[in-house]
Amino acid sequence: MDKMMFLFSEGLKNLWRHKLTAFTAIFSTFLTLAVAGSLMIVGQNTNKVIEYLRGKYKIEVFFKESVPDKQINAVVKEFNKINGVRSTTIISKSDAEKIFKSQFGENILDIVGYNPLPASCVVNVVKFQSDKMNILPIVERIKSYPEVDEVLYQGRLIYRIETYYQKFVQIMTALLILILVISVFIISNTVRLTIFAKKELIQALQLIGATRSFVKAPFVIEGVFHGLIGAMLASAILIIGLEIGSDILYSVSKITIQYSPLVLIGILTSLSVVISILGSSRAISRFLK
Amino acid sequence: MIRLDNASYNYPKGSGVSNINLTIGNDEFAFIIGPTGSGKTTLLRMIYMDLLPQVGKVVVDEFDSKKIKPRKIPFLRRKIGMVFQEYHLLDDRNLFDNIALSLHVIGCSKDEIVDRVTESIEEVGLNGKEDRYPEELSGGEQQRACIARAFVKNPDIILADEPTGNLDPVTSFELIKLLEEVNREGTAVIMASHDYNLIKGRGHRIVEIQEGSVRQS
Repeated sequence: MDKMMFLFSEGLKNLWRHKLTAFTAIFSTFLTLAVAGSLMIVGQNTNKVIEYLRGKYKIEVFFKESVPDKQINAVVKEFNKINGVRSTTIISKSDAEKIFKSQFGENILDIVGYNPLPASCVVNVVKFQSDKMNILPIVERIKSYPEVDEVLYQGRLIYRIETYYQKFVQIMTALLILILVISVFIISNTVRLTIFAKKELIQALQLIGATRSFVKAPFVIEGVFHGLIGAMLASAILIIGLEIGSDILYSVSKITIQYSPLVLIGILTSLSVVISILGSSRAISRFLK
Repeated sequence: MIRLDNASYNYPKGSGVSNINLTIGNDEFAFIIGPTGSGKTTLLRMIYMDLLPQVGKVVVDEFDSKKIKPRKIPFLRRKIGMVFQEYHLLDDRNLFDNIALSLHVIGCSKDEIVDRVTESIEEVGLNGKEDRYPEELSGGEQQRACIARAFVKNPDIILADEPTGNLDPVTSFELIKLLEEVNREGTAVIMASHDYNLIKGRGHRIVEIQEGSVRQS
């Protein structure tokens, strides 16, 4: 326990002893996490947009004249079981007549003497899906029912939206990974400066019988402190920026930026700990080889 | 016990030691004497296994250079206290913390560290200077601090490599007396020096090394 306390206090004292490298490491962690956090917020809000757009995706299914209402109900129940279908709404012939009247202000029976509007069904697709949504298999399944006369959907538009969204997600993920990898290297090189400055300490520790893990621990703990301070700064700046940005956006467009401060702090803190442990371990391990 | 069996180590650019056969007992005080570059430091480095002999072997208690795994070397070094000409005290911590470092490494409790460090500071006559940083101590005081750091962990062996190299004759003699006191308490002391006048007539074993070979012991 005393040994742990010693290693912990050494890591903490090193922050003060190596002020310049500590500043560099904290600043690079802060920058990395601020960029990574911004990307995550953008990603999260883009996800909200795609969910909104997916909520608007509609497949309109028109049934043959000869199909009775009871059979339509049974077929629509089957539609609900198709993978990717969120909900269905049946529009009977009489519902269609009412819709016609509300939209055109005239009764179709007065115009043509009978109701030519077919019974139909609106199929809504799921909104929550991380990968690209392909609507075609759903359409093909619906078309395979003999009761179905025609299926209308915004195929090209949906394909474009989904393709762009997919590319966006891939680019954001690659960018995020790249930033994190770069930050590990930056932190590793910053810690190496500290290690060179502490060459005497490392040699002294090795001569008095310190194990590799004992030599490594204070540097890794120091790295974690850098990471935590960087994460706190990045969280604070991001939250302030997001609150201001959200207020401005709301006053202009009634849209707010969606994010959870606690989740953001949690993710940035975890990321900082992981990248600082990886960075400092890499640096000290290379030195001790 | 330290035993070197036909131990040789040659540096890529030449020099080193060849075919060293030497045994040093558990409570022995031995001087390694020889001119600069004769191989004294190489011999000591082989004992604390900073260098592993390319031929032959070094055995220190249960540690055999031929069989030892790198992760076991720290455990050998915990049995050895080292004193160098250049002190190797850490500038960023005071005398107390410099000496305490050895005990932190072996996992002593806080109370035990305070007791043992205070005791060793008293033994080397540096009481009252616990809070001083190395730069605030004279050369002799720094070297005494090194001795305190070496024996605070109750080592079986103390290796001293030219510990008087930077000290005046009076301080040098005081330092040797201090090492003799440590030796009387049962710790083997091996001290390398190039200054024959300093060690002659003290009644200890003298091992002479020249051009990497032990000439007489």
